[in-house]
Amino acid sequence: MTQTSSAKMSAKNVDVFYGDNHAVKGISLDLHQDEVTALIGPSGCGKSTFLRCFNRMNDTVESCRVTGTIELDGEDIYDPKLDVVQLRARVGMVFQKPNPFPKSIYDNVAYGPRIHGLATARADLDEIVATALEKAGLWDEVKDRLESPGTALSGGQQQRLCIARAIAVNPEVILMDEPCSALDPIATAKVEALIDELKGKYAIAIVTHSMQQAARISQRTAFFHLGELVEQGDTTTIFTAPKEDRTRDYITGRYG
Amino acid sequence: MITSLVAMVKEKTMNDHIVTSYDDELKELRSIVSRMGGLAADQLQGAMKALQEDNIELALQVRAGDKELDQLDRTAEEAAIGVFARRAPVANDLREVVCALKITGMIERIGDYAKNIAKRTEAMHGNSSVPVPHTLDAMASTAYKMIQDVMDAHAHRNAESAMEIWERDEALDNLHNAAHQQILTQMADAPNYVGPYTHFLMIAKNLERIGDQTTNIAEQIYFTTTGLRLEEARPKHDLTSQTLVE
Repeated sequence: MTQTSSAKMSAKNVDVFYGDNHAVKGISLDLHQDEVTALIGPSGCGKSTFLRCFNRMNDTVESCRVTGTIELDGEDIYDPKLDVVQLRARVGMVFQKPNPFPKSIYDNVAYGPRIHGLATARADLDEIVATALEKAGLWDEVKDRLESPGTALSGGQQQRLCIARAIAVNPEVILMDEPCSALDPIATAKVEALIDELKGKYAIAIVTHSMQQAARISQRTAFFHLGELVEQGDTTTIFTAPKEDRTRDYITGRYG
Repeated sequence: MITSLVAMVKEKTMNDHIVTSYDDELKELRSIVSRMGGLAADQLQGAMKALQEDNIELALQVRAGDKELDQLDRTAEEAAIGVFARRAPVANDLREVVCALKITGMIERIGDYAKNIAKRTEAMHGNSSVPVPHTLDAMASTAYKMIQDVMDAHAHRNAESAMEIWERDEALDNLHNAAHQQILTQMADAPNYVGPYTHFLMIAKNLERIGDQTTNIAEQIYFTTTGLRLEEARPKHDLTSQTLVE
């Protein structure tokens, strides 16, 4: 697939090392506006490590070294002058296990807008919180108990709360690392429906171990193996006629 | 030599699914397709023999044999639906199951054409004063060989062989053109036998359609094996629908 200039985020020749461990090997991949890109591959293939490069989450890992370039709207996000906190507002993240803060539902969502100074008046903040919860498809379920602790929600609701928290700061890109792996099928379906809706406003990258989930929700799929990007392409092609044997063997369940 | 063969076999088993029962289900589906193909070839052979020999019993047997093909077609459909439901197949597995569904439908159609030849044999029974045109024999043996070879290509996942069979449809179309001309000419010469000759024309058409179905099967095998489409350059040489006897 061509690396088009219209990419929202563009990774070029990215290598990641954990000490001596070469975890990600020379990967180039674009994330596009209004599209979901699924990163698939066996455990330890480097897909989550690579995902975390897009908002410099790997900076927090001491022995981790990232080389190559990653651009957001053409700007190098590893530029030393770049404000990482600002970057993470623009490139939000949702994790495998829902991780609401031990605060109220309201404060979970309001946290980001507060620290980024997006609202000063309470009314503005109320508006932001309500909008984010609506976008996350959670508003109707929680509007009468915004002061209850976020941790009191069900797993699926907690994950949608985390998505609401991520979108409350108006990100441009959302990174999701196995967001449904701890959820039951109904909660999974709700998160997937949400991803479908969010797709129209953001560039989304999702790491998933569920082949069917990748097939259902993404427009592009990238298959990782042993730190390499084996194949990327439009999702339908990857799941009907992949070019590489390694991709085929993995997605069909032949990979030993 | 033997060691390399053993290595090859090992290599092949490495290509199996982690879940063995998934492989068993695909093998079962594949074997139903093979059985149907073999049966359809037999049906065609039986129908042509009945026609040649004006053998009414054999014609009836062929008609009865079609029920077995229909039954196998349903069995294949159930097996394929089961694989979809249980395995959510993707990539080459997905292509294999979808193509098996389509191929069994096509084989079932081939069976219908053979049955139709048998029905016409019954209708013409006792009219042996009109000999069966030689061109029909030639068509039937070409079609029969195509079915056998396409089922071999299916069993061995041989895309090249599928393409070669696909190209052979041109020869069958040419034979059909010749048969069509020959029968029309004979019909014009012997207007009293318009009835049997019309049946011969239809039988020629049936054989040509069997070739088309076989070609379609070849396309499916090619797609299953390679993930690429073959039909874009499909040969079209059947001119009989544009022909009128002078």
